[in-house]
Amino acid sequence: MSKKKSMSRRSFIGKSTAGLSSVAFSSALMEMLLSSTGCKSGPDRASGASDLILPEDVLSKAVSHLMSKGADFGDVYVERAAVDSVASDDRKINTTTTIQKGVGIRAVKGGRTFYAYTDSFEPKHVYETARYVAAAAAAPTASTTPSAITLTPFTSGLSFPIKPLPSEIGVDQKIEFFKALMDRAWSADPRIVQAIQFIREIIRQVNIATSSGKIVRQTLGLTEFIARTYIKGADGQLQAAWDQRGAYAGRDFFTGENAFERVVDAAAAKAAKLLEAVDSPRGVFPVVLAAGENGVLFHESCGHGMEADLVFKGSNYKDQIGKQTAAKGVTLIDDGTIESFPGSYAFDDEGTPSERTVLVEDGIQRNYLCDIIYGEKLKMKSTGNGRRQSFRFPPIPRMRNTFIDKGPVPAADIVADTKRGIYIVDVGGGGEVDVITGNFMMGVGSAYLIENGKITRPVKGATISGMGVEAMKSIDMVGDDLKMFPSAGRCGKMQTAPVGVGMPTIRVRGILVGGKGEAWTDIEGGKR
Amino acid sequence: MNFKKEYLDIARFAVERAKKAGAGGAAVTAEAYINDSESIQVTVNARAVEQMIAVKEAGIGVRVLRDGKMAFGSANDLSKEAVGAMVDGLVKKVVYHTADEFNVIPGKDDGALASNGLGYEDLGSYDPRVAEVPVQEKIKTALRMEAAGLGFSPKIAGSMMAVYQDGTSYAYLANSNGVSGWFRQSGCGGGIDFTAAEGELRESGSFSKGVVKWADFEPEKVGRKAAEKAVSMLGAKPIASAEMPMVVSPEIGTQIFSFIADMLSADSVQKGRSLFAEKVGTQVASKGFTLIDDGRLKGGFSTAPVDGEGVATQTTPLIVDGVLKTYLYDCYTARKGKAKSTGNHTRGGYGSAGRIGTTNLYLKPGDAAPEAIFAGIDRGFYLTVVLGLFAAIDAASGDFSIPSAGFMIEKGRKTYPVRGVTIGGNIFELLKAVDKVGNDLTWFQSLGSPTFSVSSVKIGGSGK
Repeated sequence: MSKKKSMSRRSFIGKSTAGLSSVAFSSALMEMLLSSTGCKSGPDRASGASDLILPEDVLSKAVSHLMSKGADFGDVYVERAAVDSVASDDRKINTTTTIQKGVGIRAVKGGRTFYAYTDSFEPKHVYETARYVAAAAAAPTASTTPSAITLTPFTSGLSFPIKPLPSEIGVDQKIEFFKALMDRAWSADPRIVQAIQFIREIIRQVNIATSSGKIVRQTLGLTEFIARTYIKGADGQLQAAWDQRGAYAGRDFFTGENAFERVVDAAAAKAAKLLEAVDSPRGVFPVVLAAGENGVLFHESCGHGMEADLVFKGSNYKDQIGKQTAAKGVTLIDDGTIESFPGSYAFDDEGTPSERTVLVEDGIQRNYLCDIIYGEKLKMKSTGNGRRQSFRFPPIPRMRNTFIDKGPVPAADIVADTKRGIYIVDVGGGGEVDVITGNFMMGVGSAYLIENGKITRPVKGATISGMGVEAMKSIDMVGDDLKMFPSAGRCGKMQTAPVGVGMPTIRVRGILVGGKGEAWTDIEGGKR
Repeated sequence: MNFKKEYLDIARFAVERAKKAGAGGAAVTAEAYINDSESIQVTVNARAVEQMIAVKEAGIGVRVLRDGKMAFGSANDLSKEAVGAMVDGLVKKVVYHTADEFNVIPGKDDGALASNGLGYEDLGSYDPRVAEVPVQEKIKTALRMEAAGLGFSPKIAGSMMAVYQDGTSYAYLANSNGVSGWFRQSGCGGGIDFTAAEGELRESGSFSKGVVKWADFEPEKVGRKAAEKAVSMLGAKPIASAEMPMVVSPEIGTQIFSFIADMLSADSVQKGRSLFAEKVGTQVASKGFTLIDDGRLKGGFSTAPVDGEGVATQTTPLIVDGVLKTYLYDCYTARKGKAKSTGNHTRGGYGSAGRIGTTNLYLKPGDAAPEAIFAGIDRGFYLTVVLGLFAAIDAASGDFSIPSAGFMIEKGRKTYPVRGVTIGGNIFELLKAVDKVGNDLTWFQSLGSPTFSVSSVKIGGSGK
């Protein structure tokens, strides 16, 4: 899904490590991983040695080594993960599974972060890594005798059940279930030339020990499903579309609107629609965004600029607290507490409890997305947004479930009130933002023309772009139909993170639409 | 970093273990790939270190093949116990997979190089200095890169992201068809984003560069180039929708070719996902357009003696004078398409079973000096910045509308900066509309392009 502007559009070191995105298998290890945690359901159990990946005394010693040379703050992040995936491509079903483990160690000194990790759980290697990081961050006058640090376990009531556990489903069952989805995808339309379905189930067990003396632990089970369908028209025209869902939950979450079958059907229907579509008009004119998935537009165009690290370094949202950054009536929220949503968790990856953060309230900027380090630099407190992809990465400020709150306008009135423009069902195509200028772009997956207040012909090949702040100020109608979308899209900002989005139906009065169709000029924004 | 014999031994152990685990049933063939890597990443901001990350990691990826069914697994625990358990698991579950007669663990007939436990040919893709240079020196390099940009102009307000990154890796490969060898690669480079400000105006400029050898990285050049780009964009404004000729900078050219290369993968073609299907031997681009993938380019960023499944790399002209010559193949698609592997099975590390990818991909330079290309244009657009290219081109139809920035070209000269426009068209039509190719081939890591021009594109903009 969304991709933040990163320096290296092609990673320099395409030669090194692979992350969790790749996969392998060992049901035995997966069982072991799960049996040692309180993840089955209900609130966390009281802490005991068996709940931790590494014994408490090892964590305590590691933190002591880490702090022995005068760091201001430090943490030890221990992670075990099992990733199990099933994919169908070209009518062939294959599975992969991977087991990943490691300890990421961070020291912060004078606002600078020093980080290293080891893939070993051997105490001696963990201490070595801790000493290496301590030395890198060393203060000139620090003592070299580690002082003992006492750790206190913290628990949280926020826990999402994983039903069923991926390990409770046999490989044969998984494949049988998947074959039915594959057959459904291929039989949706006789013009389908290719179809891909992909499901990935991840169990991540995490322990974090910090120099402030706390230990948190949590286990998260993420399930992601993606369907992509290619269809060829009689004229040789090839079109493709996709649909997807993701949640911190087991397969039981995926019912109703989120059912795997619905996702497969939607991909085929969207692709077929594109065969009838006309080229998108280009120019600046009104855009009506359907409720739900389109929230990614605001994740991209505004959310990134509100992340504390980027604010600190001068994003276009710097020094905006208390100022107007959106039209009156627009409220933007980042919520890490919505049950099972892909950006939700009990604690972030530096041990701060998650929360619901109001970023923009009725058009006024109220807060930023903070982790401990950049929150401190901005003299603000962490909002629980310090996230990391895995033990391989230090935490940085990231979004969770970001959405525009509902407004007063009956949703049906919004299209009816628009004379000419486009109606976007889902932006779907991914996007990018330049946080310095605030310029963003989003590809458009599925959209229609609006002519005289009615949705008419489908359009293809549109992109929307502009300045995030201007887009937010240009919102003139906010619908009453807020819909949250549990997305399988991963946000990329040097590292990936699962995020959710949402919004009600909204109209942006004027935004730059790109396409290869006719140029629309001097379009009136609507009746208002 | 050093060659570690124990890793080659573990790779061979995994292959033997798979054969043993399958004893008594249909024969099992297997392949093990181990990647051992080290990396340093330094982020600086406002002339001080912001973040330093040190990485050492090794892991194994195993493919097993039985009865035409293939399974893949990976782990970052290289103990015999962990690797053995993983391999046993793969052999057990592979029976549930879909059989495919073209699945293959490559042997000599597929172009795999055995190597007999020795290192593969050295093509200059490794520099020991990259790992040896002390971290302090790398921190200084990152600071020099930022300082050069900060000092470029008083209009530079600061850097948003300034990163030095390097990596060295040893790859070990063994399979049950006699392959057993290793090779190594290195890379280092930097990338930086600057903010330029003047009054109320703010603009960004970014640049990055990666090279194989430590001595070849010039941090000041990268810093200055990014700062120059930011400053030159100050005062950018939209233009009105119109059709006009376009000049494409090498940086943007490489991003476009990287996208096209995906459609030239035999896998995309065979699965009906590419409009290049059935186009071999036909004109798909203009006469002066020659696109080459060269896995053996001396000192190239992605140069390697063999690909990710042990097949010798090669020089593959994909499009020659506008005529499509071949697709990029690995052993699976080669068997399926009755062709030979072009040595393009690439792996993103041990955790990936691999897919078809480019090595060093470039547009062959032409004769025109870049100034001569501009000189021939009365009114046109010079494309230097794109946003979200990956989302702006539809991979199936080739249609694109790319939010862009750049400069106006008037009477043969670059004039004022432009932002807030989109360029629209179709990638296949664009390739056929390339009319001049410059002589200034410029490499961005493993992608290279000279400046080139396109006779006409549709520009969408809000300007007057």
